[in-house]
Amino acid sequence: MNDVAQIRTLVRQSQSIAFTAERRDFFRLVRRGALLELITAGFYRFWLATDIRRSLWSGTLVDGHAPEYTGTAKELLIGFLFALAILVPVYLLYFLIGIEAERVKAFASIPLVLFFYAFAQFAIFRARRYRATRTVWRGARFWMSGSGWAYSWRACLWDLVVLLTLGLALPWRESALERYKMRHLNYGDLPARFEGTGWALFKRGWWLWLLSLPIVTLPFTYPAYKAVLWRWWVCGIRFGEVRFESDLRTGGLMGLYWAVIGWTTLLLIADVIVIAVVILVAMFFGGKLGGANAMLLFLRQHPYLALGANIANYLALVLCIGVIRRVYLTHGVWERVVTSVSAHDLDLADNVKVRGALASALGEGFADSLDVAGF
Amino acid sequence: MSEESDSGAVAAGVPTPRSSIYFDGLTNRRHAVALRFGAKLDITEDGVDIASWPYDDLRMVDGGPGTLRIKSVSALPLARLEVFDPAAQTQITGHARFLRIERGGPAHTGRIVAWSLAAIASIFLVVVYGMPLAADRLTPLIPLSFDRHLGAIADNQVRVIFGGRTCTNAQGRAAFSKLVETVRQASRLDVPLQTEVLNSPVPNAFALPGGKIYLLNGLLQKAQNADELAGVVAHEMGHVSHRDHTRMMIQRGGVSFLIGLLWGDITGSAAVIFVTRTLFEVSYSREAEQNADAFAIAAMHALGRSPAPMGELLFRITGAEKSHTIGILASHPLTEDRRELMRHEDRPATGLEILSDDEWQALKTICRPANAR
Repeated sequence: MNDVAQIRTLVRQSQSIAFTAERRDFFRLVRRGALLELITAGFYRFWLATDIRRSLWSGTLVDGHAPEYTGTAKELLIGFLFALAILVPVYLLYFLIGIEAERVKAFASIPLVLFFYAFAQFAIFRARRYRATRTVWRGARFWMSGSGWAYSWRACLWDLVVLLTLGLALPWRESALERYKMRHLNYGDLPARFEGTGWALFKRGWWLWLLSLPIVTLPFTYPAYKAVLWRWWVCGIRFGEVRFESDLRTGGLMGLYWAVIGWTTLLLIADVIVIAVVILVAMFFGGKLGGANAMLLFLRQHPYLALGANIANYLALVLCIGVIRRVYLTHGVWERVVTSVSAHDLDLADNVKVRGALASALGEGFADSLDVAGF
Repeated sequence: MSEESDSGAVAAGVPTPRSSIYFDGLTNRRHAVALRFGAKLDITEDGVDIASWPYDDLRMVDGGPGTLRIKSVSALPLARLEVFDPAAQTQITGHARFLRIERGGPAHTGRIVAWSLAAIASIFLVVVYGMPLAADRLTPLIPLSFDRHLGAIADNQVRVIFGGRTCTNAQGRAAFSKLVETVRQASRLDVPLQTEVLNSPVPNAFALPGGKIYLLNGLLQKAQNADELAGVVAHEMGHVSHRDHTRMMIQRGGVSFLIGLLWGDITGSAAVIFVTRTLFEVSYSREAEQNADAFAIAAMHALGRSPAPMGELLFRITGAEKSHTIGILASHPLTEDRRELMRHEDRPATGLEILSDDEWQALKTICRPANAR
């Protein structure tokens, strides 16, 4: 075995990762998903999330083999229903405690929000665990141990520190939490760990923190921070002795974020124009039939009409922005990050034994109910 | 797929040109294998059979571009076969009848849509018919002490908002107490009431759950006689008597929960929930206002006084509303309609004046410091 290891260290291999899922196909996928979300009042989100992941996973080629996402929408739906069954009594309790607290002092119930913050951290951990156990590559599964609550209190304590240091402690928060998550991740019988340090991230990102102080610079500094963060994250991952590198440039994600800003602005302008045209057309025909007053009277007699139009317009906007966000920030960022990665000594991950059980989608359900996303 | 593939013997024994990759479900080791399409799909490595999968057990899974990746429902859960050669892929798709059975199709999507629509319909019905009914049935089950808890909370907040400037002129307070007590007895409300006048220019009056009624000086100054004011106070007592706050809270909680069930993590869903909830709430609260008006009219009749002055006072405060309010969004019935209703209920006075002229003057100046009079 030692000889083999020595030979391997002599012939250091590096493999780049390819990405083949076309943006056009992905756009079609999320456009269809948004329409179905509209028709189903949001219920389709479980199927859309699953389709998005399947598309991203299977479009990524690592050493010639695409990972396989084995999760199903039905699992997400059941996870959501389970989360509801737990959250509803919690909400009720929260409500009653809130009443008692308010009786003692006005607006005293606000700190209870913190409890839900802790819950959200739990959900983030468990959601990642679900995704890991639904990822199969080369006939072996990723899996995770560890406790969601242990993660949650760590995250809350670190957030307190970050708050007290005005964000300066963020790199150490990221590295500590990532170490916890990675230390409990395995690929078959190959344990993962995280070797990125807070100091390394700090050295790469401190100037971004400075530039972010005047809030208006955020549209520039945030994409840069995300790029720095991704690169640092990829470089810190270890599976046994397999390591990864990323050559993502600091400005590498800037275009994607600005595409979102640009398209959203265009969308809003277009929406204003559409609304203006609708009103003008209505005024024109209203004018024929008896003037603007007649139109106002008509609207008073049919108030649902104006209100319905407003709600429909709002929903359409939200769903369009969702499509834009997914095309650039989900697909786009995934593509940029993944193609920037090269894996070193991937052959050391040969002969990994299959291990690990499937985790439930409960965490995803919580994440959905509490509206948090965690990768 | 052509007909010839039906006879497995044609392809039997002829290995496919490019090797496929097989994972045995125990380790992630790559087995370069050849495929033989016999009675089953035989997988051979270096001429040795290592697996044999029945065609009916084969299922397609996501495999990346140009790759047909399959599993077998009778093999280990993670055993996979990756086939790159298009000819071999065609062979497999021809033989395996249930290859795509786990993949969704239009019928699958249609089922999701149909079930979602059913869920939307049932949630809508519950919101429109179920929640008011549930609130009506649940409210009497909730002890009055709960209303008083709620009232205490609201009271804390009211005091923060209005700076707690209670008007304390002794004669004014006596007059106000008399007015409140007269109306309370006439309406047979047996909840203990606490009433205060707050020194705020806002022309309004409101009841808190549990029996606290606030009158703001702005409204008091707009009132021209005790009958006008008595009507408004009776209206607020109506809210207390009907326990509208508790009822509203049950409805509000239920409705936001049900609507939240639908729209999940779509960005801005909070706004959708808010808008939809507001719509339902407003229609609920309009009903509550109409009931409180009916309560006030009954109380004034019991006193032998006309409810019409109350309508005049309301109209004096809001002005005409028809021109600038979208009816569905108005939480109160439109003032014109309320005034019309109260005029309709107008009857000649048979009861005594509620307050004497002196008492009325004292009430009007309740917010002035005692030494300024």
